Amino acid sequence: MKQTAQLLFKNRRPGETVFLKEYERAGGYLGLKQALREMQPKQICELVKNSGLRGRGGAGFPTGLKWSFFPADKPAPKYLVCNCDEMEPGTYKDGELLQADPHQLVEGMIISAYALQADTGYIFIRYAYREQFANLQRAIAEATEAGYLGKDILGSGFSFELHVHGSAGRYILGEETALLNGLEGVRPNPRSKPPFPAVRGLFGRPTTVNNVETLSNIQHIVTGGAARFRDLALTVDGAGTKLYGLSGHLERTECFELPVGISLREIIDEYGGGVWRGRRFKSCLPGGASTPFLTSADLDVQLDYQTLEAVGSRFGTGGVTVFDDRTCMVAATLNLIRFFARESCGWCTPCRDGLPLVAWLLEKIEHGDGTRDDLQLLKSQYSNISGNSFCALAEGAMGPVDGLLRHFEQELVDHIEKGRCPFS
Amino acid sequence: MAELLTAEQIDQFRAHIAHIEHPRELIIDLLRAVQDKHGWVPDEGVELVAGLLGLTPLEVEEIATFYYKIYRRPVGRYPIHICDSICCWSRGGEALAEHLQKSLDIAPGETSADGLFTLLPTCCLGVCGRAPAMMIGRESYGPLNNEDVDRVLAELRQEAQA
Amino acid sequence: MPTLTIDNQQVTVPDGNTVFEAAEQLGIVVPHFCYHHALGAVGACRMCAVTVVEGSMPGMKMSCMTPAEEGMVVETGTAQAEGFREHVGEWLMTNHPHDCPVCDEGGECQLQEMTIASGHGLRNYRGNKRTYQNQDLGPYVAQEMNRCIQCYRCVRTYQDYCGGRDFGAMGSRQRVFFGRFRDGMLESDFSGNIVDVCPTGVLTDKTFRFKTRLWDLEQAPSICPHCSLGCATVPGGRYRELQRVVSGVNLQTNGHFICDRGRFGSGYVNHPARPRHARAGGSRVSVTDAVDSLLRRISETVSQHGPEAVAMVGSGRASLEANLLLRQWAAELNCPPPVFELHPRRARAIRQTVGTLSDHLASLRQVRKSDLVVVFGADPLAEAPMLALALRQVVRAGGRVVVLDPRPVELPCEFEHHPLTQEKILCLLAGNCEKELFNRLLQDLMAARRPVLVGGGDLLGGVGLQLLGHLTESCDNDDRYCLVHPLLPQANSFGAGLLEGPEQTDLLERLESGRVRALICLESDPCSEHPEAGRMQLAISRLDYLAVFDYLPTHATKRADLLLPTTTPVEGDGVFINNEGRMQAFARVLQPGVPLAVTGQGNHPPREFVPATPGCHPRPAWQLLQQVLGDERTLHGLRQAAAEHESRLEGLSDLQPGGEGLRVMPSSQAPVEESTVEIWSQDGDLRLLPVQVRYGSDHASCLSDKLTPRMTGPQLIVHPQEAEKRQLKAGETVLLKTAQGTFRFPLACDERVVRGRVIVPCLPGTPLEILVPGGLSLPCEIEGEAP
Ligand SMILES: Cc1cc2nc3c(=O)[nH]c(=O)nc-3n(C[C@H](O)[C@H](O)[C@H](O)COP(=O)(O)O)c2cc1C
Ligand code: SF4
Ligand code: FES
Repeated sequence: MKQTAQLLFKNRRPGETVFLKEYERAGGYLGLKQALREMQPKQICELVKNSGLRGRGGAGFPTGLKWSFFPADKPAPKYLVCNCDEMEPGTYKDGELLQADPHQLVEGMIISAYALQADTGYIFIRYAYREQFANLQRAIAEATEAGYLGKDILGSGFSFELHVHGSAGRYILGEETALLNGLEGVRPNPRSKPPFPAVRGLFGRPTTVNNVETLSNIQHIVTGGAARFRDLALTVDGAGTKLYGLSGHLERTECFELPVGISLREIIDEYGGGVWRGRRFKSCLPGGASTPFLTSADLDVQLDYQTLEAVGSRFGTGGVTVFDDRTCMVAATLNLIRFFARESCGWCTPCRDGLPLVAWLLEKIEHGDGTRDDLQLLKSQYSNISGNSFCALAEGAMGPVDGLLRHFEQELVDHIEKGRCPFS
Repeated sequence: MAELLTAEQIDQFRAHIAHIEHPRELIIDLLRAVQDKHGWVPDEGVELVAGLLGLTPLEVEEIATFYYKIYRRPVGRYPIHICDSICCWSRGGEALAEHLQKSLDIAPGETSADGLFTLLPTCCLGVCGRAPAMMIGRESYGPLNNEDVDRVLAELRQEAQA
Repeated sequence: MPTLTIDNQQVTVPDGNTVFEAAEQLGIVVPHFCYHHALGAVGACRMCAVTVVEGSMPGMKMSCMTPAEEGMVVETGTAQAEGFREHVGEWLMTNHPHDCPVCDEGGECQLQEMTIASGHGLRNYRGNKRTYQNQDLGPYVAQEMNRCIQCYRCVRTYQDYCGGRDFGAMGSRQRVFFGRFRDGMLESDFSGNIVDVCPTGVLTDKTFRFKTRLWDLEQAPSICPHCSLGCATVPGGRYRELQRVVSGVNLQTNGHFICDRGRFGSGYVNHPARPRHARAGGSRVSVTDAVDSLLRRISETVSQHGPEAVAMVGSGRASLEANLLLRQWAAELNCPPPVFELHPRRARAIRQTVGTLSDHLASLRQVRKSDLVVVFGADPLAEAPMLALALRQVVRAGGRVVVLDPRPVELPCEFEHHPLTQEKILCLLAGNCEKELFNRLLQDLMAARRPVLVGGGDLLGGVGLQLLGHLTESCDNDDRYCLVHPLLPQANSFGAGLLEGPEQTDLLERLESGRVRALICLESDPCSEHPEAGRMQLAISRLDYLAVFDYLPTHATKRADLLLPTTTPVEGDGVFINNEGRMQAFARVLQPGVPLAVTGQGNHPPREFVPATPGCHPRPAWQLLQQVLGDERTLHGLRQAAAEHESRLEGLSDLQPGGEGLRVMPSSQAPVEESTVEIWSQDGDLRLLPVQVRYGSDHASCLSDKLTPRMTGPQLIVHPQEAEKRQLKAGETVLLKTAQGTFRFPLACDERVVRGRVIVPCLPGTPLEILVPGGLSLPCEIEGEAP
């Protein structure tokens, strides 16, 4: 186990939260000062583009490219919105970050807003993150007091105000356009794209939505440079570190900052302390509940966008949920599908009515009442829901079903043939 | 009925509403405030929020009923959100939920006879590293076993008596 | 204008059209639910999948969300798209209760049609279905939520299109519920439209529930008679009862929707008090005998007193054909031409519209597409409800609406209200006062790209509309006209106005002086339509002979020496010309007859057997007049002759019911000067303004009991300061003293009412009916009741 450079978790100490004094002592807000004093907004965008940073919210869209669509020259108001909904099961990294070091995000957002020439920011945070909400409020108050937020920041002429918006518990609010509706106080169904938020976002104005981790990386890219950021990754195309939240059947289920491109095996063995209770690895979700399962054949895969796509899955949010060899994958998938069906916003048919039908099929098979026809039906549900929903929620729901059908079809057949769950 | 919002809170919200461009963005804040004060959001709470924002009750209801953590029906003093998502499920969440049901003698969605606890299965609480987990009010607990749960319940019962 | 290929057929569509719309243009119906022409595409139901074979984004796509591209190749029937649509059908049906045998939507259920079109036939899902508890949405709309397929059309109609704020979507995922916060009557004046847009039996017409299966319903395209806009409707009935009215589709006028007054206001057709039998001298006679006696009496009058002794009154309620024949009759008798509008000031407003304004008239569609509408002296929800909806569309598209009116005008959208008295508005139009506001409006109108002026005929009168005409002309420029949308009193006021000869304002004097001995009224009631209703009643009682053709029970039918019952617009064919000069034909829906529900008190079969259908005597007025004239032309022949005679009616004989109608040719007659009342000097003291209200002001809707829940009682509305000045309080009963008499009514206060005016609703059938709208404000005083 070699030491990884800690950017985001540099200040993290168990059970503690770092606020302004300590944050500054550890070099906080130097990035902001550097950005405001030495860099043009365009330069920062260019730097972020060169750094290879990709969105950490799940979709992995190159951040610099996203920013390049933002019409910086349009008049105010323009918005920068931080997505801290983080409700995808297996994903808890943003919460960890904000529990330890809220100023990271605040600083990252101010620099990002400067780069985009946005004048108002919102942090959209999930209901359950009460402490993180309080941390952010305090951090914002401190930063305002210190002149890092508000009018004419550090005499640069740039002004930015930042608000925290608490949500009330729905996964769909993580989808960026639903989030914008949620912020506006209307029903949080997703919006159709185009128009993209960069054109018509919050309150009809240009808006960029980014993830907590994405935005928190910005000052490190400013201070350390693009090349260094790229070099942090272990893959050729990758860049930076990543917050990996470990969960499931591991000895240690914690969140670590490790390089992009670390292998699955190393994470499990070195950081997760191996599969719990001395059992064997069966499968895992490599990047949150919406990423297709991997199997033991994939243990040596490097955790990065392209590498995981090559093995039929996705990097997602970097939340790694491991399943031991006693896990029924039908039951696991059923649990995941129930989550997605319950979190559907109810707007489009494949998700609203299709997911409950998939859940019903899996339930039937899991309970031993399934038939070969049901297996066929499951396959046709999968292929018809995938790619055909209004937003990516139902798409994500099909991730585990995809993995189940590709890697564990035999397990489905066993359920059907035995007339019961072979694991119970 | 207990007060929905204090006069002071109402004044603060009024002032805030008067000074922002899109008052509707406060809808969740207001509903949450009513819930924090009153335990849940009764019809009168929806009407109060609507009145403050210049909306119709229906327009507020459309939002209130979307969010699972706005309670539009009475809940016990301590609403227990027991996580039923994948990480907690993988580490014994179902057994824990059963234990809760048994010790409170209620089914999911119900409120215990003493009016203290309502059991609400919920999706991922964002503490997957501490699975299995639950959230009571807005305090999260985990990892939990049956004894931990019993202890927490006992503490809360005691708190309620005091 | 991209050209693309769909199912091997080429089509060129306007920029911005979707693949769905392009297919529609080719007559290819892609199965769909959430798409609706008036509501647009939202991509929710996912039923409209097609395969884009060639294009910038090939693959299976939702056709309603995919822009048509040049050179695109699309197939609607690929295995993938068909397979997917079948799945959508299956998903939508998982929770549907399959209660078609007891569902009122049967026969017009889009869910049935689309499920079959999708190819879904066998149910795989055997689990529980989600169920709901229904709400009571009031007397008009019944709710059966279990049938819902969540297409969101109802909310999109109710909230987005119509601006209602008490019905919406609640909950989420598979438990979305469409309803109200609490049980109760839907508040929007356009609430019934959610019945039309709901593709399945969730929202049905409660007043029509369980009455008739669609395939047993007699239906025909018609024109709404409740105001001058001429919205397309499709009334339906059975057992001689008019049972429901749904919206027709005319993109030039109402689009896809109608107002609740039009939808629920047709009770007059079934009304038990309707004249059903010909009467002469107080006893029932056959129609033939009645016509004979009419001819005899009129020829006697002419021979004894000369043709001047016969007067005729046509109306904006009667069809164009009937009015034409009445005019022909007058010509044949050589008596003065008929008066087609008894209210002289209203008549002048109509004249201006038919004459000077006729080359600047805006259709309702043009109003919807406008970017700036200035409303002068009109309360759209009361005088022309669908105009209010059109104004909402202006605002939704980013346009602006400004209203100058003394009343507490409400609209389902944001607008700028300037409370000004009727006199001030006229004065402003003449450029004599409120100059700052006038100049600002003028500037905005000049700058607007598609400006429209709405003029309320009742408040503005002829002078006002004439001034409005001047204003439009000064706002015209080389690229566009500034259009006008005048509001007239009745559905065929324009058509009747077109036939009007030289101005006659002396009918009342002629009646009073005894110069007129015999009066013939065609679907009009002088006693409640003339501004001096009291004097008119007296004058009429002194006539030798009063002959009335009508389908409504009125003062005139009660006093008539000769009564010929006519049919309502749903029981005959005819043409109305709406306020923008659009000729539109309506077709017969039902044969006239007393509804079975009335004759049998709901029992069937009837206890009494008669060879003829009870109450079948009413005939279309034009047929009766043909009988009078010995005219045997067909309706078509009649229309043809009229079009030949009157060039402005070109195309009349080609009209088909259910079409878009045809604009009459413009004319520019010499302007008519309104008599020289010193209009502006009337400003200042407290004056009374009788106005139309949303429900019950027109002679038809006041006889529709379905509308009772929406009717407001008589009341006086003033600005709170006027009440305060007189130490009166809202809610208390006060005395209203006018030249017409003294009335006692409750007082209401409203900040939005202009100072110095008392607004009083016109309500036929109540003591207030003698206060006829359409005039200038009247002197009055209000005071508390003496203790
Ligand atoms: C159903 C759904 C849930 C999502 N939840 C989150 C979330 O909780 N946090 C997040 O940052 N992104 C979430 N996303 C992704 C966002 O839509 C968006 O891509 C992201 O916030 C962009 O930020 P990034 O580019 O910095 O990753 C979600 C997407 C979907 C479809
Ligand atoms: S896939 Fe459809 S129903 Fe599901 S969350 Fe997205 S828009 Fe809503
Ligand atoms: S799965 Fe239970 S907290 Fe995330």
